Amino acid sequence: MKVRDMRGLVLPLLMVGAWEYASRQGAAGAYAFVPLAQVASAMAELLGSGELLINLWASLTRTCTGLGVGIVGGIGLGALMALCGPANRLIAPLFHALRQVPMLGWIPLIALWLGNGESAKLLIVSLAALYPMVLNTFESRRQVEGQHREAAQVLMLSRWQQLRLILLPAAVPGIAAGVLQALAFAWVTSVGSELFLSSGAGLGSLMMNAEAAARMEIIIVCVLCIGLSGYLMSWLCTLLSRRLLRWRPNR
Amino acid sequence: MNAIAHPLHPSVDTGALTICGLSKTYALKGRPVKVLKDIDLNIRPGEFVSILGASGCGKSTLLRLIVGLDQDYQGQILLDQQPVRGPGLERGIVFQDHRLFPWMTLQQNIALALKNHVMPAAQKDRLVAEHIDLVGLRGFELAYPHQLSGGMAQRAAIARALVNKPKVLLLDEPLGALDALTRVRLQQELQRIWIQERCTVIMVTHDIDEALYLGDRVIVMDANPGTIREDLPIDLPHPRERDSALLQGYKQRLLGELVGH
Repeated sequence: MKVRDMRGLVLPLLMVGAWEYASRQGAAGAYAFVPLAQVASAMAELLGSGELLINLWASLTRTCTGLGVGIVGGIGLGALMALCGPANRLIAPLFHALRQVPMLGWIPLIALWLGNGESAKLLIVSLAALYPMVLNTFESRRQVEGQHREAAQVLMLSRWQQLRLILLPAAVPGIAAGVLQALAFAWVTSVGSELFLSSGAGLGSLMMNAEAAARMEIIIVCVLCIGLSGYLMSWLCTLLSRRLLRWRPNR
Repeated sequence: MNAIAHPLHPSVDTGALTICGLSKTYALKGRPVKVLKDIDLNIRPGEFVSILGASGCGKSTLLRLIVGLDQDYQGQILLDQQPVRGPGLERGIVFQDHRLFPWMTLQQNIALALKNHVMPAAQKDRLVAEHIDLVGLRGFELAYPHQLSGGMAQRAAIARALVNKPKVLLLDEPLGALDALTRVRLQQELQRIWIQERCTVIMVTHDIDEALYLGDRVIVMDANPGTIREDLPIDLPHPRERDSALLQGYKQRLLGELVGH
């Protein structure tokens, strides 16, 4: 890796340094900013006991399941709204109204219906992934230029062939952008739902328990873990979409 | 002109296009605007017809009607005595923009035109390869459209239109978006390809040189509403020399007519 690729590490390292410096400013400093050595030992402790991996795994699987549901449902609903005018006129007002309610605003209602178990969290994550998928799938239909449709007509492609060979590939860039957004929303709401519905495994639950026990070092470990995993997932997703979209000129 | 068109080349006996009393009206802000009025045109099999006119004379609209993308018109369009209804593979078209599908390679783009032909895959592959050769793009089979230059993309579009062996090839200002040098080179290429394929070609253009260099006939159109002003036979065998005295003479005359007033 070249030196210039490492520039992204400069700010995080500065922040770590500042944190450590602050933690050494007397008892008050150590109270507000837990020393890094303590964070490291908490990390070792959580890894050793398997607690970190179990909770991370729980959050990740929920994110992926919800993301999967959201992607499939979102592409389906978005395509229906894009391709069928009456369906769009019927669904769009309700969809856009519901979309205004923040994801975490659904939690009280869903908790009353489904309790605070896994199904409630999964529903929230799936909904969070659904919105961007519907929007992006719907919008990507406009990317199919009339010119491409005409070319397909002149080549006498059937409706099914047009859908499969023209409309679908033309929608892939939009759908890929949707997946990238949906992934971020799914990950955030997955952890967020654990904070509100803290039962069962998950990084959010681990954080809530650590807060109750005043273990700041564990909270820090969780925060780092959430940030890094999210970053890694969207990086993987970007790689995948570049591979799928290799026919596009590079930006 | 004879009522029944005689083929221009003995080997070609299909691809006769007859247009009778063709008119087309658009609604513009609720008011009808006549873009084509009483067009009569008889095109013989294997003939290369250039349609020349300023922008807005309805020449591109005429091609859209012939290719079947627009079926709302008055009058008749007959291909080999059969009325034309909607698009069909016996009519190919090349637009000013290449309209290749960006997610397909050059090869896939051309093969798409053969999608609904019933023939063995090996034969399709052979046809695609032949036509890539024909337009001089061998070696670029796996390139995506964004990797091709404008001229190359337009060659690919020509190959895609020809791979079906259409009776009539329609060219809608196919070289209009290219730089001057590429355009001249592709005009020569078009002439060579046409001599080889000998299908009927109707090319819309606003370039006088291009119309004269390629056309067996040059149809000059007037605008508002679009009508045929002149039907000029260019009696000069192909392949032609660009600087032939006959072509230069016609050029002066057409320049005078189109821009002179």
